[in-house]
Amino acid sequence: MIELTSVSKSYNRGKVKAVDDLTLTVKPGEIFGFLGPNGAGKTTTIKMLVGLLRPDTGRIVVEGFDVAKDPLKAKQVTTYVPDYPAVYERLTGLEYLNFIGDVYGVPRAERLDRIGKWLEIFELAPVVTNPIQSYSHGMKQKIVVTAALLPGPRVMILDEPLVGLDPRAAHQLKEMFREHCDQGKTLFFSTHVMEVAEKLCDRIGIIHKGRLIACGTMDELKALDRAEQSLEGIFLELTDK
Amino acid sequence: MSAADENGGVGGSGRLGLLLTVIRAGLRSNFGLAVLKHRLLKEKKDRWLVPVFALAAVGVLPTLYGVVLLIKHAYLLLAPMGQERALLSLGVLAGQLLVLIFGIYYVISAFYFSRDLEFLIPLPLKPSEVMLSKFAIIMINEYLTVMALVLPVVITYGVMAKGGMGYWVNAVLVYLALPIIPLAVVSVLVVAMMRFINVSRKKDILILVGSILLITASLGIQFAAGRAPAKEMNGQAIADLIASPNSLLNRVGAKFPPSIWATKAVAGGFSGEGLANLALLLGVSLAFFAGMIVLAEKLFYRGLVGLGETTGKKRRLTRDEMSRRVSSGRRAVAAVFGREWKIMNRTPIFLLNGTFVVVLVPVLFIVTARPGVSLWGAAIPKLLAAANPLYSILAVALFMTICGSLNGTSSSTFSREGAQFWISRVIPVAPREQAAAKFLHSYLVAMLGVVTASIVGELVLHLKAVHLAVAAGLALVSGVLLTAVGMIIDLARPLLDWTNPQKAIKQNLNVLLAMLADIGILTAAFFGVKALIKTKLAANVVLGVLFVGLAALAALSYRILLRFADKRYPEIDT
Repeated sequence: MIELTSVSKSYNRGKVKAVDDLTLTVKPGEIFGFLGPNGAGKTTTIKMLVGLLRPDTGRIVVEGFDVAKDPLKAKQVTTYVPDYPAVYERLTGLEYLNFIGDVYGVPRAERLDRIGKWLEIFELAPVVTNPIQSYSHGMKQKIVVTAALLPGPRVMILDEPLVGLDPRAAHQLKEMFREHCDQGKTLFFSTHVMEVAEKLCDRIGIIHKGRLIACGTMDELKALDRAEQSLEGIFLELTDK
Repeated sequence: MSAADENGGVGGSGRLGLLLTVIRAGLRSNFGLAVLKHRLLKEKKDRWLVPVFALAAVGVLPTLYGVVLLIKHAYLLLAPMGQERALLSLGVLAGQLLVLIFGIYYVISAFYFSRDLEFLIPLPLKPSEVMLSKFAIIMINEYLTVMALVLPVVITYGVMAKGGMGYWVNAVLVYLALPIIPLAVVSVLVVAMMRFINVSRKKDILILVGSILLITASLGIQFAAGRAPAKEMNGQAIADLIASPNSLLNRVGAKFPPSIWATKAVAGGFSGEGLANLALLLGVSLAFFAGMIVLAEKLFYRGLVGLGETTGKKRRLTRDEMSRRVSSGRRAVAAVFGREWKIMNRTPIFLLNGTFVVVLVPVLFIVTARPGVSLWGAAIPKLLAAANPLYSILAVALFMTICGSLNGTSSSTFSREGAQFWISRVIPVAPREQAAAKFLHSYLVAMLGVVTASIVGELVLHLKAVHLAVAAGLALVSGVLLTAVGMIIDLARPLLDWTNPQKAIKQNLNVLLAMLADIGILTAAFFGVKALIKTKLAANVVLGVLFVGLAALAALSYRILLRFADKRYPEIDT
């Protein structure tokens, strides 16, 4: 469960308002898609959710833990995949996974199971002892996603997770999204791929110039528009103002 | 449409313009002037640096004044013998040797490890032009590096010798040409080395070994050059000096003739001798430069392209192997420590500037601390044997502290994480625990320096075991203080947006600030001990008070570091 209450964030001493009075709840078991044009405030929101940025005002609660007041407990139940896979290039894939397993305190048996499973699914098993430096962009993205899955988090937050993935890996990642939320866990991700959001998300939020301009199920969003067009049409219409 | 345009290329003057644009962009991004201006004037973040630097500048003034007095004194001694030009030669030679040593670091990192190369290579530029854009950055770095060494000599000499317009004009030209020959030599060696290394799979190890060999070779040259005057500082040598004008100059310059040409060019001014030597120096510099460009055109990209790519054998682990390699759950501090250790030691630039330095300094001391090799070779063991045991313990403790703590390991510990710092921000490990793990890593490197220096103490200085142990104890406790201070400075303004690992450690302002702070702390400790000795306390009491004082400061600084980590981590933008 994720709760944002009146969250605002500005840059340049208040001159640029990146997120403006955002209130939003993502329920357990829900895949929430976060859409918006470039510079709308998606990444800023995500960075505030995972504690990388501090909101100027408002409150963010993840699984009952206030991100500002109880950061370690919030982090313990959350994992994050950034929009660019900046990982420790000098470690091997397995060393990185071990590091994440250690810092999240993942028990050995679960660690072995999950690492084995996701390395196979993402076809990383043959290269896991090689330095991450030798991986392609897509492979780095996969190792970051594998690391995010390793702790079995209650909440996963992903910024453009499908960028750079091949169609097979993208398909598997989408399957994982569903599997994750079917266990009653929460998933929040940003994307520019309308089809993915339309097919996969239980609810969708559209942010524009820092404000949440629409939020709901696909049916609810369609009801906003008499033409009942596709998500792409709705998105273009809403963000054209 | 010109012929060049038809061919899809850029004409001669266009090429020069293009090259200048690339050089300008490189200088801007490398020296971060736009960023600094923005941070100082717009965001007002780094304003506190202004008084710090003003203070540092004021602190340096007495030293500079001392150096100028020394040069003046040497000039007055040498002038009656007709040997004053040797001063200029020594200055120039020292400057060029410094260019050589720093050049190896600069060249390897700028030519091969700058991330912007990924953007430069696809541009319609020749390999030599890409290399030139990097060369320009290194030249500026070198001018700044040798400034403190060369300018006091040239300026003091000019004032003492009442140099005319010819002196000053030639001095400027010589200063501008100074780094070209050594840097071209280093560039050619490095480019050739990388061409060979890039075909191998073990690139990192070869880069490391190659760099160590080049550094050792350049230091070897330095000591060979510095050896003659040191060995022969006796009556006979002085008699030789008087007997033939310019003999000292020739002897110094024989090791590296361009320093003679530079000396004669500057001292000769607009005379025939001055102009001829200036032409010789500039001509040879140009020839070296041209040779480097020709070689760059042929070899640079072959050593560069694909360097960052590492291939690994594809091999699936068996279930047993995987089971063995998946850790069974270390504590978070151990995990962060392991990460620090691996990344530092597997990144050649970090290893060369951190761990390698703490071993290099004591080893250099061993190599040079022999009579006939350096002045201190003969003097130090005698001084230590003759001195009050208290002084020898303090001197050795200072040496150990310098070996262990005066390097960039602690003061770049946060900066080294660079773009990966987001990981440290999102993992559920308290900042104080992460700082503790980083402290352990930096302190271990400092301890390595202290241990190596202890071995030197035993092998070269033949100290009594008990004295050595007391000195090591003092160095270890002051190591805690200096490590924590270095980390606090880096944590205050970590440099995370680097594109070249060299920037995180070697060109990181935090490393310089931490060294200034360390020198300040050691100076304060020096005056504290001096005051204690004046009170005529017993040696053991002085040492005891010093140890307790340092230990208290060490504990305090460590506590401040942990608290500061808790405060700072959430504030650092990634």
